[in-house]
Amino acid sequence: MSDQSRSLLRHDVRHGTRIARAEFVRSVREYLQDNRRIIGFLVAFLFLGGNLLFMLPTVYFAGRTAQSASTVPFFGPAASLVPVVLVLFAALRTVERISGVEAEALMLTSVHPRAVVVGLLGAELARLALWFGLPVALVAGVFAVGLGAPTLLVTGVLVLLPLACCAAIWGYALGLGVLRLLRRLPRVRRVAQVGGILLFLVVLIGSQLVGQYLALADVSLESLLSVLTLGPVVEYVSLAFVGTPLARPVDATGFVVLLGLVALTPVGLVLAERQATTLWFTDDVVTRERSRSSPDTPRETTHFAPPKPFAWTQAGGVAWGILVRAVRKPQELVHLITIVFFAGPFVGTFTQAGPGSETSVILLAGLGVVLGAYLSGAAFGLNPLGDDRPQFPLLLLTETSPKTYVYGRIVAGLTVGLPVATLVPLVALTLRGLPQVAVAFTLAGVVACLAAALFAPGLGCLYPIYDAREIWGTESVSPSMLVMMAFTFVVIGGSSLGLVATWFLLFGGVGMSATVAVALGCYLLLTGGLPLLSSWYALRRYRRFVFE
Amino acid sequence: MPSTTSLAIEATDLRKTYGSETALDGVSLSIPTGTVYGFLGPNGAGKSTTMRILTGLSKPTSGTVRVAGTAVENRRAFVPHIGYLPETPPVYDEFSAREQLEYSADLRDIPRDVATDRIEQYLADFDLTDDADKRIRTYSKGMRQKTAFIQSVLHDPDVVFLDEPTSGLDPRAARSIRESITDLAANGTTVFLSTHILPVVEAVADEVGVLFDGHLVAEGTPDELKTRAQTDAGGSLEDAFLAVTSGPDVAGGLEESGTGGSSEPSESSEPSEATAPASTTGDDA
Repeated sequence: MSDQSRSLLRHDVRHGTRIARAEFVRSVREYLQDNRRIIGFLVAFLFLGGNLLFMLPTVYFAGRTAQSASTVPFFGPAASLVPVVLVLFAALRTVERISGVEAEALMLTSVHPRAVVVGLLGAELARLALWFGLPVALVAGVFAVGLGAPTLLVTGVLVLLPLACCAAIWGYALGLGVLRLLRRLPRVRRVAQVGGILLFLVVLIGSQLVGQYLALADVSLESLLSVLTLGPVVEYVSLAFVGTPLARPVDATGFVVLLGLVALTPVGLVLAERQATTLWFTDDVVTRERSRSSPDTPRETTHFAPPKPFAWTQAGGVAWGILVRAVRKPQELVHLITIVFFAGPFVGTFTQAGPGSETSVILLAGLGVVLGAYLSGAAFGLNPLGDDRPQFPLLLLTETSPKTYVYGRIVAGLTVGLPVATLVPLVALTLRGLPQVAVAFTLAGVVACLAAALFAPGLGCLYPIYDAREIWGTESVSPSMLVMMAFTFVVIGGSSLGLVATWFLLFGGVGMSATVAVALGCYLLLTGGLPLLSSWYALRRYRRFVFE
Repeated sequence: MPSTTSLAIEATDLRKTYGSETALDGVSLSIPTGTVYGFLGPNGAGKSTTMRILTGLSKPTSGTVRVAGTAVENRRAFVPHIGYLPETPPVYDEFSAREQLEYSADLRDIPRDVATDRIEQYLADFDLTDDADKRIRTYSKGMRQKTAFIQSVLHDPDVVFLDEPTSGLDPRAARSIRESITDLAANGTTVFLSTHILPVVEAVADEVGVLFDGHLVAEGTPDELKTRAQTDAGGSLEDAFLAVTSGPDVAGGLEESGTGGSSEPSESSEPSEATAPASTTGDDA
């Protein structure tokens, strides 16, 4: 490398460091910009931090009892997977969030693209350190104390740093490469937007099934994982144990891997810079072609004409508008993916029970009811103020009452959820020869959907999110995660409880004792009262909405 | 430090296509140093595309661009020469105006003491001193625009590209920016000003270029363009603008009257006085 190249590199790294610092400060300020967000973080911190604290004694004793690195459970496969996971994670984050910089025009007319790449990666590493660094350091620290070798913290950082830098840079280059490919192949991009979500669902559900299979089947996990073990990588990670009781004879391959990482990092930087330069300075043909309309192209005239029964009421018209927009931009519903985390275990249980058995059909029917109820509220109801805010200058200055807009969201949600909650149990249980159960579950589904649809808007109005974020390549104003969790907990818990109660009361031989009557009364009171109270609150928030 | 090169912007036969669509077709510009060049055109004419190409943010399908004597492809050498204010101000909500400007100064390698003096001066000039330490999130549109404007000229560039700098501003803020544009030109900085607000162009521009449907359909001083319009529709710059961007009939009429404009401007090989490139009006502009 010539003196000039070195000087330019130093120059870019200095700019990159400045950009990284600025981006990190911006992120922290964004996290802390309002009290409700801080409360959300505190709740998450208490929840996750509590779990971590309970885990620490186990980690400490693991450190005390560890005799050698090979006795650490799954050390080899885990060490081998670390670089792969880091590269894939970096690629995913690149595709999802950091493929470009905000105020791009300022950045790209001020500094060299290489500085921007360094800055974005530096900021991302700092954000990761903020979120995961403390818990990882805590676990490693407690393990090191248990081991009686505090130097593990130092050696661990020395081993992890080159690995993380190399993986981050190559992951970034990979992510940008994927984006370039999607830009070149517009059709692939459209397929990937839907296919990516489907793949995500398959991976999530598949992981549940694989987990259950491994737990129940008679397979040797060790033999499976030994296939994934890469000796040189394990040797490299083992360098972290140098100077501790877990140290094993140092193998030269570990140092070769270290040299490889050090050599590959600048190569990756050059590649990432080239990818970024091409991506940032090339126009997106698809977006451009969509945004320009050719006068020669004949246009199809479209009218806003809700079909019956939506046309019967104003709220129905509003609901139809919401549904049309959802169909045209389904990415807006990306927040619904969280249901998969909850539905996954059911799928596993369903397959265990055997797809054709009575238990599995009843489970399927129950899953339909719960999923339908969830969709009725979560599809359009969990961030109504955030969704409608850009249109409020129009909506609130028309003669239409604000309650129409709330009811419109409820109707739109029911349109999505009610068919799932009624048809799945009705068809599945009838075909299995359980018509009475089918009717009971279907009626329970109707009640659950109504309750969830009425409950969601009020809950969403408690903590509206107004800022759009890019998720899966789409700018969307998604509901708050806290709201999503609360809704999921209440609706899945409530509707499951209702189904169990329905089953036992009607078919399980449970008599109507005083205790049962009181419990049932409380349940029905909550099922009816909470949604009504919630929808009343949503109406109140709409009526009193002001821009602040 | 403004360049001493006689031509600040040289663009030759720029063409830009997006798939089957042509956004720019045969656009050439020769803008002398120190000129305020008003760049006009209806929505969708290709103004923003031209700006992105001239600032190196987009590559032309064919054609070349040099700014302050430097080819735009040579990004490292090119960026110190230019300042760019896009239509959406590139500022960060999470910073204050002072932080934003200090950040920008750092990235431009302006020495700390020089940057501090310039920032204080500009903040005072644009009436932002009292709000300089508040987060930009709390700013009005005008305050954001003024902050972004300062940012684009803070490093004393040779050429400043301004995309709708006074759009949506109150009269006082708009005047501040207009006066700054005039001051910049007086100090030898070239200003490439894209706007729909014709009185601003009339007030500050030495040269005007009108882009229509990807073609540069007219070029000249504001007076020359107004003179052309007098023969047909009226005598203001607005009349001239409407005349040359009203489609083939009107443009054809102008061509017949010998005052420039063309329904097929890329084929015009002999521009009249009013359609001549800015450089033909003299390098001492």
